[in-house]
Amino acid sequence: MKPKIAFFDFASCEGCQLQVANLEESVIDVAEVVDVVEFREVMTNKAESYDIAFIEGSITRPIDEKRLKAIRKKTKTLVALGTCAHLGGVQRLSNQWSAKENLKEVYPDAKEKDINKNEFFEKPHHKAVDEVVKVDYVIPGCPIDRTEFIKVLVALIHGKKPPIPDYPVCVECKKKENICLFTIGKFCMGPIARAGCGAICPSHGSECEACRGYISHPHERAQIDVLEDCGLSADEIMHRKTMFTYKYVEKEKEESK
Amino acid sequence: MKVISKQDFNDFITTLINDGSLDVHGVKAKDEKFVFGELESSDDLRLDYDTTILPPKKYFMPQYETLMKCSLKSPFDIKEKKPQKPLVLIGVHPYDIIAINQMDAYYCNDDVSKSYLDRRKNTILIGSDVLNIHDKAFFGSMNTGQVENGYDLFLTDLDDKVVIEIKSKKGEDLLNKAAMVREASDVEKQKVTAIRTAAQGRAKRGMKIEPKQWYSLLDQNYTSKVWKDQSDKCLACGTCTLVCPTCFCYDVNDEIDLKGNSKRVRTWDGCLLRQFSEVAGGEVFREDIKDRYRHRFFRKGKYLPDRLGFTACVGCGRCSTQCIPDIADPVKVMNLVFDNSETFIQDEDKQPKSISLDAIEIDEDEATPLHHPFPATITKIEDLTEREKLFEIELDSGEKLGHEPGQFVEVSIMGVGEAPISIASPPKRKRFDLVIRNVGEVTNKLHEMKKGDKVGIRGPFGTGFDVDQYKGRDLLFIAAGLGLPPLRSLIAHVLDKDNRKDYGKVTILHGCKEPCEVLFDSEIGKWQEIENVNVLRTVDRCPEGECWDGDIGLITKLIPKSNFDQKNTFCMIIGPPVVYPFCIQILLDLSVPEERIIVSLERRMKCGVGKCGHCQINNLYVCKDGPVFNYKDIKDLPEAFE
Ligand code: SF4
Ligand code: SF4
Ligand code: SF4
Ligand code: FES
Repeated sequence: MKPKIAFFDFASCEGCQLQVANLEESVIDVAEVVDVVEFREVMTNKAESYDIAFIEGSITRPIDEKRLKAIRKKTKTLVALGTCAHLGGVQRLSNQWSAKENLKEVYPDAKEKDINKNEFFEKPHHKAVDEVVKVDYVIPGCPIDRTEFIKVLVALIHGKKPPIPDYPVCVECKKKENICLFTIGKFCMGPIARAGCGAICPSHGSECEACRGYISHPHERAQIDVLEDCGLSADEIMHRKTMFTYKYVEKEKEESK
Repeated sequence: MKVISKQDFNDFITTLINDGSLDVHGVKAKDEKFVFGELESSDDLRLDYDTTILPPKKYFMPQYETLMKCSLKSPFDIKEKKPQKPLVLIGVHPYDIIAINQMDAYYCNDDVSKSYLDRRKNTILIGSDVLNIHDKAFFGSMNTGQVENGYDLFLTDLDDKVVIEIKSKKGEDLLNKAAMVREASDVEKQKVTAIRTAAQGRAKRGMKIEPKQWYSLLDQNYTSKVWKDQSDKCLACGTCTLVCPTCFCYDVNDEIDLKGNSKRVRTWDGCLLRQFSEVAGGEVFREDIKDRYRHRFFRKGKYLPDRLGFTACVGCGRCSTQCIPDIADPVKVMNLVFDNSETFIQDEDKQPKSISLDAIEIDEDEATPLHHPFPATITKIEDLTEREKLFEIELDSGEKLGHEPGQFVEVSIMGVGEAPISIASPPKRKRFDLVIRNVGEVTNKLHEMKKGDKVGIRGPFGTGFDVDQYKGRDLLFIAAGLGLPPLRSLIAHVLDKDNRKDYGKVTILHGCKEPCEVLFDSEIGKWQEIENVNVLRTVDRCPEGECWDGDIGLITKLIPKSNFDQKNTFCMIIGPPVVYPFCIQILLDLSVPEERIIVSLERRMKCGVGKCGHCQINNLYVCKDGPVFNYKDIKDLPEAFE
């Protein structure tokens, strides 16, 4: 029996599912080893239960939580797919402000009464999947890396722990013999960001913004010292700490309370 | 020495590139920096470079190297690598050649790595003098600006012409492909000497100590405040080890693809990374960044000199350039340690023997693929407790494993990986026993296996118990929890009727958490019946409804009760890390001499042959020097009983 896998999307751009839908030549090999039983992007089927459910998107409204909990009950293994599911995504930044403030920002012309009426606007608060249900594994990244998706899938089929690295992006960056961005006046979160992307951003001259989250034991204080020594302002540092990883900042705030 | 005009030199390089039978790599530009890479034309070659981002070690120990391949359907049908074209590597600076010589000594010492030796022998190495000195380089301070051996040809670029020294037959044959080569004149030779002396004299950067003094300085400053002060700024990013030409540690993992093919892959690893010292149970033996940071310097300045006789830094300055908080620079750090060292005495006995190495002369037959397992069959499986199973294993070759009590093997399941497991049976039997708790990927898989299934075995590895040394003595065994299986290999040996007369009174203390965790219950019962054998057992607690006729309390309490003869007994302790300090202290308090206390330690053992670096306790390799140690030899090692 091939394992049954399913994909579900919550608040997201669907870019991660798109990565899966675009697996190209590997698609046939994937179909050889698993049965895709639900995948809204490419089919309309529904199933009663799953071996592996991949969840994309952040969890925003009470009705999303309900839906997610129902999926959890129907699946043996649950995998958070991409940064939105893993950490809450860039949209999590909006948790800093009230629902009203956010709406004003996005729809400056909307009328107060329309805002109050619309159920989609009821107090959105972005959560990562693991803040609502138990997550077995995470495929991090914005978007996810196709090769890594395959690696995780294969590992799960063979009963192995998915090989998500717990070392920093610098390791992959160094192995590729890139010129470190710090040496050319740029800044980078690579020293504490989780590898697995093949250091794709620094390899193309772009600063790493830790879309895959941090490693399990980041020496964050040292990273901030480095950024300060490079002359970054507190705001600029905060920007780098929150782009994809506002979850950690929220946690810090909670702990300091 | 020969001389060739620049034009003819360029033609020579072009000839090499066009010769389809060679891979031609050399130094070339990457934006504002330099790297070693494939040369597409002679114009690519930049002998005026200062330093490359990564050292040439990537050619001999690639960042990512497939060690073997197989299909999961026939895991022991291992596909050998196809031989590659010979590599011509052009433009290696003297300090990097010395680093390669050190790497030769490291990988071709004791267990010779076949994949390393193959790559090394397949390379024609062409050195080059340093024409432009990188502002962070300090090879002048490390005496590595000139090199005596380890290369085939050596170039000195004199603008309109190139001086070439021929060092080997391989080099000579290659140079024969060049058209116009003549003897160098005295003036040209003098120019070469002048360039070398100048480079050596300039690249110093104010290092206050000599390379041979690193040893004593570090030896006297393990607790220097410098380690903590500096490591507070450390990102634990691993850069300083990855870019270093003399950092050789690696990791090995299995990968599976969609089609069910498996690869065993070796990748660079570094001791600054947290998981470097993490064992399957989750323990991290160098959790504190300070310990990792210090380990790097000690490995370079003390541990490798101890083992192989050279200071493992060649002054290339790569770490000094690429560490973002700038705390990895040996000049800065060794000077800081020196300045903070109240007294510094150069101990003449404690220094590297030499830092120039002889070219390797190794017989290819001595080299083995260090990571290839041998097929073996599970002949019996017995459930011992809820978490532990006993596996009896026989090598498919029909041979005996040939182990000493206390040694270990690497058990391998293709596609999943390897796990180090102590051998739990005495050497006499043809088959051997492994007691396995399901705590990691490999061990979980093993628990799913059945009688008749195949596993891979490498080993036996390490230093076991010295059974001859204990002859004529009494023996006290202290086995806590999973410490019993490895001790069983010795206990069963000692209690074997053929050997029993060689040893005196045997006392066995066994402790575990609860009665349900007791291993080898009936076997212990049999031991008890043997003459002059005394067994005492304890559990930490006995939950209601379970029966237990031994003591209740910690194993340490059994020691004073056991009535052994302190003057004539060897005491063996194996258990989880917490038990060692307590048990050892009690034994010392009872005036057992240090050298009669024997322990076996657990660390992350990946290669088993002293190469991957994961198992190190200060200067010792648990996989080679241990796992069985005499307490006297390790009591002063700070990393032994943390
Ligand atoms: S560019 Fe970024 S990821 Fe690459 S080495 Fe520098 S800090 Fe690390
Ligand atoms: S010393 Fe520097 S390069 Fe090395 S791990 Fe620490 S921060 Fe990274
Ligand atoms: S420690 Fe630094 S300077 Fe010394 S060899 Fe390694 S990278 Fe070069
Ligand atoms: S050095 Fe690799 S296990 Fe000891």
